[in-house]
Amino acid sequence: MTAGKQERKNGGRILKAAVFAGLFLLAAVICFPVVFAVSGAFMQQWELEQYLGPVLGGADGMASWSLLPKAPTLAPLVELLIDSPQFFVMFWNSLKLSVCILIGQTVFGVPAAWGLARFSFPGKKAVLMLYIVLMLMPFQVLMMPEYLVLDRMGLLDTHAAVILPAVFSTFPVFIMYRFFCGIPDAILEAAQIDGAGNFQIFLHIGIPLGAAGIVSSGILGFLESWNMIEQPMTFLKTKSLWPLSLYLPEIGLEEAGIGFAAALMMLIPALLIFLSGQEYLEQGIAAAAVKE
Amino acid sequence: MNRKVLLRITSLFFALMICFTVLSRAADQFSVAVVTAARPENRMITHEVRTSGKIVQNQELAVTTQPDQRVSAIYVSLGDRVKKGDLLFEVDLGLLEEQILNQQQEMEKQQLTVDDAKSQKSVSAQQKASQQAQAAENYALSVKSAGVRLERAKEALAEAKKELKKFRRQAGVTQEDSSVEETLIQTCEEKTDAYIKAQQELTTLQWNIENAVNTAMQNASYGASLSQNEPVYTQSSDAVLREAQTGVPEQVTAEETVVLEEPLIIEAPEETANESNTGTSGSGTGQPGGNAGAETDGTFTDDILIDSITEETGDIILEEPEPPVSAEPPVSTEPPVSAETPPSQEELDQIEQSVRSSYEPQLQAALQKVEDARTEKEEALQALAEYQQEQLAAGDTQNAQAEAELTAKVEAAQQEYEDAALAANEAAVTSGRAVQQAGIPDAQNSSDRMSEITYEQMELQLEKLEQLKADGGKVTAPADGLITKINIMTGEKTTDTTALLMADLSKGYRFTAELTKEQEQYIGTGDLVTLKGNGRKQVLEEVPVESVTADEEDENVYHVTAQLPEDSDVFELGESVSLEFGRQSEAYPVCVPLSAIHLDTQNRPYVLVAETYDSVMGTETRARKVSVTVQEQNESYAALGEGAISTDQEVIISSDKAVDDGSRIRLSGADGQ
Repeated sequence: MTAGKQERKNGGRILKAAVFAGLFLLAAVICFPVVFAVSGAFMQQWELEQYLGPVLGGADGMASWSLLPKAPTLAPLVELLIDSPQFFVMFWNSLKLSVCILIGQTVFGVPAAWGLARFSFPGKKAVLMLYIVLMLMPFQVLMMPEYLVLDRMGLLDTHAAVILPAVFSTFPVFIMYRFFCGIPDAILEAAQIDGAGNFQIFLHIGIPLGAAGIVSSGILGFLESWNMIEQPMTFLKTKSLWPLSLYLPEIGLEEAGIGFAAALMMLIPALLIFLSGQEYLEQGIAAAAVKE
Repeated sequence: MNRKVLLRITSLFFALMICFTVLSRAADQFSVAVVTAARPENRMITHEVRTSGKIVQNQELAVTTQPDQRVSAIYVSLGDRVKKGDLLFEVDLGLLEEQILNQQQEMEKQQLTVDDAKSQKSVSAQQKASQQAQAAENYALSVKSAGVRLERAKEALAEAKKELKKFRRQAGVTQEDSSVEETLIQTCEEKTDAYIKAQQELTTLQWNIENAVNTAMQNASYGASLSQNEPVYTQSSDAVLREAQTGVPEQVTAEETVVLEEPLIIEAPEETANESNTGTSGSGTGQPGGNAGAETDGTFTDDILIDSITEETGDIILEEPEPPVSAEPPVSTEPPVSAETPPSQEELDQIEQSVRSSYEPQLQAALQKVEDARTEKEEALQALAEYQQEQLAAGDTQNAQAEAELTAKVEAAQQEYEDAALAANEAAVTSGRAVQQAGIPDAQNSSDRMSEITYEQMELQLEKLEQLKADGGKVTAPADGLITKINIMTGEKTTDTTALLMADLSKGYRFTAELTKEQEQYIGTGDLVTLKGNGRKQVLEEVPVESVTADEEDENVYHVTAQLPEDSDVFELGESVSLEFGRQSEAYPVCVPLSAIHLDTQNRPYVLVAETYDSVMGTETRARKVSVTVQEQNESYAALGEGAISTDQEVIISSDKAVDDGSRIRLSGADGQ
């Protein structure tokens, strides 16, 4: 019996190790592109041409990759940072778009989510349904109507054309709605008894308690707007308004090194934002998962 | 991870990004070329011709003096202005006087040389004359003696015939015999005649040849001397010759001299033939056994004939020879007209040779004829002798012997007469030739005249030296002018070249300058140019260009001259002056500054136009290459062919960095970004 227990214990350990190995392998595969980007940023041009030539330059053979550069160099990074003012134009464009979108979502999305979560009014269900439907719709479907509306408003080829639709996006509202729904009614009633008005309750109870939801929706919103590519491509014609996400497609084999360096640089803010909000994000996701 | 640390990292990241943004922009702007650009203009292309040249004189005067004079003082220096008559320099009078004395002595010597040459010439003329006289005398003598001998031979012949006739009258001769013999004798006489005639013809021909040779040679040397054109000599020699001719002894009269020039022939025409005929017939009739019946006729005839002989024998008839019609020498004996020097001995020999060879066939023919005639005569004589021998053998021995003796006598006399006639002929020809040769003029001798000329030249030189002495050895300016060159030095001797060079101020000035080949295209004779002096406000406008000529050595250099107005005193001689001239073309709609034109690797012109384009950095400007055709250009502008660029395009004129097709640029000034 003891032996059987021991056996079972051993079998469990082996199983555990196997699962771990399998997961590690999966994680490694998933992380591989990031490793690509990082190692490519330190490679020299000739090395990149050698690896990517078959894909980008029309050379014979198959594309290959090395995890570590043969001759590591900072040249592409320096070139990008010193000699490519257009990169910074796009970088700041991206940042501007993302920050504006985040602010807009906060200003309009948080009250909307609070209202939907805490008040009952006729047609609330229909509104919620509409939100979900809109949230599920891909950009390709909305592109045409959005374009027509923006054109009519004279906002095409301005940053507002990208910012405004994102500000009124339904996804953050939906996320925050879930959080606000999770706030216990008792707390709100207590506040009411203490004489707090609706606005005070929202400001002093709703926001602090729903902070995790706001932050996680903000992080998700940032990542989305930082990486968005269809909207600027569709609505922005002037190159100087383009965000960074449109910089990388412009880069060919000749500037592959700069491309990798740019990708690395693009990764950093997203990573920093993610790391800053990781706690809230986890909480939020957990909260969303807990069923009352 | 600590939120604070994350926040710090984030702030640091964005701070760095801001820094790099600024840095990269700065670096970017640093690499962008700042250019100036302008729109093409509608304008005319003015070709400015600018060059600098000098004011030079129109005419230069050379001041010369006698060579080999020592310069004792020079009173002017380079650039001095002198008036006509101003003292320029002085030569040493002592040396000059010495030279004059020297010259006079030399002239004296030369005079003596002239006298010597003249006397030499007259002596040789006299010698020549006496030689001619001698030859004429010899001729007369030999002709005379030959005539005497011929006379004697004739007399002897007549005597012999008379004796034979007498004998025959006594003996009597048969008619038949006589007729046969008569025919033989007739033949014999005819042959003899022919022989003599042939012989004479030969002699005549030989004479003709000699004559032709002499004439040709005289013509050759005389023609040459004529072409030397010295009438003095010719006259004097003629005079000497005439004198010499008149001075010859009486025997040779002027008339005779003339006749002497013709070949001398002792004529043996019918008279002589008859005479010899008589002789032979005499001998024929004198043969024994002749018929008496026929005697009267024969005697009668003979008498008449003998009479005619006595009348005519001894007459030496000097007859003009008939020039053989066919004997025109095919070779021209005329000397070449262009001959300027007397022909050399070789040439003379050649002429003689050619004349002789041209007569050669005739001479050969004549010789052949003489030979033939002689052979025929011999044969005829032989036949007659044989016949007579037969007759003698047949006839009376006594009579025959006597007749044979007489006949032999007649024959011998006849033979002698013939010989004498030939000898006389030959003597006449030989001595005539001597006379002719004596008449050939001597080679020209012009040393006396040459010496005279030298003397005259020396005389002229002396005059000049004396003139210089009379001026006190001072040399003065021949006209108003400016000294431009001095070739003499104080204390040195003068040469025969120019001593001083002066610009003749009275003849005005002109401007002269060099042009390049490009400039030459735009300036031509008659263009009105502006001349500007350096420094002060010396400007002369609308001066017409006098000439534009290519340099003889360098094809890329041209010379332009412009005559300054005569009354102008703006510029001074030797001043450096610049010429300005502008020639305007038609208006071109697209003209750009020349600095905008570039040449590609194939030397084709192109311009760079500024072009705005949309980029990540905003609206940026870059250069774009546009190939153009240059229609015309000057130093600053070029007219472009229409179509390549429009008038609202900005053409890059200059930049602070090298700009190429596609280079990003920034327009400076108001148009800049």
